[in-house]
Order: sequence, then structure tokens, then C-alpha cells
Amino acid sequence: MEVVSLLLQGFSISILPANLLACVTGVLIGTLVGVLPGIDTISAIALLLPFSYGLESTPALIMFAGIYYGSKYGGSTTSILMNVPGEAASVVTCLDGYPMAQRGRAGAALTVSAIGSFVAGTIGIIGLTLLAPPLAQAALAFGPPEYFSIALVGLAVLSKLTGTSTLKSLLMATTGIMLGTVGMDSLSGISRFTFGVDELDRGFDLSILAMGIFGIGEIITVMTEPHTRMSVPTIRLRDLYPTKEEWRRSTAPMVRGGIIGFLVGLLPGPAATISSFVSYAAEKRCSKNPAEFGCGAIEGVAGPESANNAAISATMIPLLSLGLPFCGATAILLSGFMLHGIIPGPALITQQPELFWGLIASMYIGNVLLLVINLPLIGVFVQLLKTPFYILMPLVAVVTLTGAYSVNNSVFDLVWVIIFGVLGFLLRRAGFEPAPLVIGLVLGPELERGLAQGLIISNGDIWTLISRPISATILAVGAMIMLYNTARWFGKMQNNRKQGSC
Amino acid sequence: MIEKIITLLFLLGSSLYLFFAQHLTFGTLGSPKSGFLPNLAGSAAVLLSLVLVFKQIRSKKTASNEKVDWTKFIFIIIGFVFYITILSNIGYLPATFIFLFYLLKVTDTSGWRNPLLIAVVSSFMCYLVFERYLAVPLP
Repeated sequence: MEVVSLLLQGFSISILPANLLACVTGVLIGTLVGVLPGIDTISAIALLLPFSYGLESTPALIMFAGIYYGSKYGGSTTSILMNVPGEAASVVTCLDGYPMAQRGRAGAALTVSAIGSFVAGTIGIIGLTLLAPPLAQAALAFGPPEYFSIALVGLAVLSKLTGTSTLKSLLMATTGIMLGTVGMDSLSGISRFTFGVDELDRGFDLSILAMGIFGIGEIITVMTEPHTRMSVPTIRLRDLYPTKEEWRRSTAPMVRGGIIGFLVGLLPGPAATISSFVSYAAEKRCSKNPAEFGCGAIEGVAGPESANNAAISATMIPLLSLGLPFCGATAILLSGFMLHGIIPGPALITQQPELFWGLIASMYIGNVLLLVINLPLIGVFVQLLKTPFYILMPLVAVVTLTGAYSVNNSVFDLVWVIIFGVLGFLLRRAGFEPAPLVIGLVLGPELERGLAQGLIISNGDIWTLISRPISATILAVGAMIMLYNTARWFGKMQNNRKQGSC
Repeated sequence: MIEKIITLLFLLGSSLYLFFAQHLTFGTLGSPKSGFLPNLAGSAAVLLSLVLVFKQIRSKKTASNEKVDWTKFIFIIIGFVFYITILSNIGYLPATFIFLFYLLKVTDTSGWRNPLLIAVVSSFMCYLVFERYLAVPLP
């Protein structure tokens, strides 16, 4: 009952005009980001960080969250209409969404995708409402060893789940940890790796790094790739109604997708993308006509599109209750929180309940808004897809650089944004995923603090660090996931060898 | 090729990092000092880069086959550097106008009138939003 009354209090905050406007703006921008291929969620939040300066902290956070979950709604549009995923989590939607569009059922696929996103998004937010507060309460008992264990497991598990090479991801995460040590050491007060440059004393600003590596990096990537104008079909409002049969076949996948997405979302890694693939595999297994998958099965659209939305809400749980981001997008969300002086974690829920519950309530409202505005505006979004990138990208570059300057009113920051931008571009070209670097940068200081304080408390006894009940449980779960992944890797290697010898 | 170069740069960077980390006090297990984590992280990065270098030498796979217009890349970087250089000297509005017009031409926007118009309107809009609405003291 207490949760209900707190949630109602949250609703009273989130319906204030400024917060409601922030929610509408966030979900609209998020949908646009999802619709436009080439700009991903992480880059969009990084690019839009400066626009929140003029806002109070509550509307600013509501807007960022809106961009985050809104982007997953829009992602399916280009997957279905053009066979081009708007973002990574919608890759799997192309498999059945595009064949549906070719059969003239694009409108039905878009509707099922939007309604599935709404249903699963709501399941995810209910889970977030119920799980985040008790987890934060439990986290109040966490000491340095527990935070060390969470950060260590987060980094180790995440490196396996980014989708690229494990070695590369581990190297990127370690580089992030190394970058996190630049500046004043919070424990000893000694400047490290600053080489006499005063500006480096405060370390690398997460928002500057994010704007560079994701924002400018993405802009350079898009601007240097050859682009061909794609033809976009026209969608009318009357095309959006699914048939009775399509409704019947979509209902169970939506609910299943919501549950799968939520569970996968609790794990470290790019949960939205992974959950959409897991859901697709589950739907194919549950289907009476698995051969239809890949040729326009509506379950192949309903399940994955629902799963990625539920996963988004679940990824907010470790961020809000522990203050630890388990994927790239929540790491950037964290930098948005920090820009406004908000440190997510157990203290946020107990000391700033109006902000926490206002944010949660806004997610319920945003989810409804997305459903209401998405379908009628589909024609507008389709028109936007016709905007040439050679005009859009220079404009985004100017906004990003101006925003980066305004963080500290410093031209020095612009130099770093461009250095990180070039680095982000080159890393992508070389097949290195930049997200683990950002997570390493965020979790690194947490890891160092937990390790150093834990060792001091235990007088150098590493066993104490790993044998405390909560710490041991976290490490055991991490070890099990790692073992499972290693076993799968060995299995894959053996299969490859067998195929090679054949 | 770019994959190998980047990995070698990682190896070089992490070796340098480890070298400078050696100058910090490591401490003991019971009392870790400022060099504790940097030494561990630096060693891990050197090891990982070395493994990756050897793996890439043995492998024939390439990371990406997508085409990149490297000439455009160089011109974009020149534009960024030029923008930072002139920003403090000539002020935000003219610098942003020149930069935007330059980028629009680099990205093959046809004609002169449209890029000029977009550059003028957009730089002015950015100025209004950041200077007036967000009260950012722009140079």
C-alpha cells in the first residue's frame, strides 16, 4: 500500500505542467531518435545533455528517461518500412516486419509493435516500481566490499555481452578504468596522470567523453559513409488496423516478450538488443508454424518489440537503486543525473522520494503518450526519414559542440570532445564497441573505492572481501554467468573446428 | 589494417600508462595507495592488448568492410580544428556560421544559396537558444 501512495504522490508531481512538457518532449525526441537510422539512443542522450541545463532537475531527468524508452518505440518504424533498423534493438524486427510490409501489412506490423511496446513497457515499469525500492533498501546495508563485487561482476559480465569480441570489450572496459584514474585521487588527494595540466585535475568529465565518443563519433561515422536515398512507403491511418487473426496471434507474444525483456534487462549488458533476440527465439519455439518466421510472422514483430521495451525499464533498476549503470545508455543517463547534481542509488529513493517517484510516474504517463502520439504521427515520422543526412549531421555537430562548450564554458573541453569523437569513430571502424569504455569509466572509481576501502577495513585480507554473504552471493552469480558464457564459447569453438575439418 | 593499428596504439598507450603508474605509490594489500588500481589496470590492459595483437596477427578476418570516405574524414577534422581555433578570436556567431557552411559544403550539399541560408539561420538559432534561453556565456 505504501508503494501505491508513493506512486500517487509521484503522479501528482509528474503531471505538473513543466514535468509533463518534459515528458512529452523526451518521448517525442526519443521516438525521432529511434526512427532515424544512424543516431542511436546513447548518442542522442549525449547530444541532448546540454539542453537540460535550463531545466530543473526533475523535468530534466524525466526528459532523459523519455528519450531512453521513447527511442525503443521508434526503432521498429524503419525496420518494418525499409528493412533498416533504427537502432540495434530493432535488428530482429526486420526479419518479419519487412516481409509483412512487402505483403502490404506494414500498418498492422507498426500497430502491433506500438501496442506490444506499450504492454511490455507497462509490465517493465510495474516491475521497476515493485523491485527498485526494496533493492535500494537492501543496498543501504552494502559496504565497500559489496560495491566492489557489483562493479567487478558488472564489468566482467558486461564484457561478454556487448556482442563484439570479448577481448576487445574487456580491453575497452579496462581503458575506461584507466581513464577513470586520471585526476585527483579521492582517497589520497594526489593528482594522477595529469602531467601538470590543471584542467585534468577534475578528471574526464563523463558528459564530455560521452558527447565526443558517441555524439561526434557518430556524426563523423554518418558523414563519411556513402548514403543512398531510400524509398519510404506511404502509410495511411486506415492501414494501421490489424485483422482479428493478427490480434489473436500477437497477444501472447506481447506478454511473453514483456516478461522475457524484463528478466534479461536485469542482467548487465545491452539488454534491449539481447532480449529482442531471446524473445524471437522463444516465439519461434512456441509457434505452431516456425517455418513462417522470416517470411512475415506477426509473432516475430510482437515478441521482440515488446521485449526490448520491457528490458529498458528493467535496466533502470540497478541505476536507480544501486547507482550503477549496467549498459551504455544508463551510463549516459547517469551522466545526465550527475550534471544536475543527482547521485542515483539508495539515498535517492530515501532522501529525494519526490524525484524518484515523479520519475517512475512519468514513465507510466510517457508510455501512454507514446502509444497515443506514435500511431497518428507515423506519417510525419515517415516524412522525416526523407531528411537528407548531409544537412542534418552538420547541424547536430554544431549543437553538440555548443553544448559541450556550455558544460564548463571552456574551449579546452571542445578539444577533448573532438579528440574523443575521432577516437570513437576510429574505434567503431576497428570493431571496438565504445560502450564498455564508458561503463569502465563510471564503474572504475566505484571499483577502486570499494577495493581500497574494503582492503583497509579487512586489514588486507582479500578473503573478507569475497566471503561476506551479500558480496559472496553477487560474486557467485557473476561466476556462474561467466562459466556459462565460457562453456558456450568452448562449444562454439568446437563446432567451428568440426565444420572446418569437414 | 585499422584494427591492427588501433590495437597497437592500445598496447602503446597502456604501456605508457603502466610506466607512469609505476611512479605512483603502490602501497600494500592492507593499505593500498594511489598506484594500486592504476598498476593493476595498466598490467591488465597491456596483457589484453598483447593477446589481441597476437590473435590479430594469426587471424585473417577484418573488422569492417564498410566504405569510408577518408578524404571527407580529413576535411571534417580540419573543420573541427579550425572552428576551435577561430571560436575565441572572432566570436560564436561568425565562427559557427563559417563552420556550418564549410561542413555543409564538405558533405556535398549542392548549390550556394541553400547552404548559406541554412548556415545563417541555424547559427543564429543556436545562438538564440544557448545565449538567450539557456543563458550560456558564449565567446
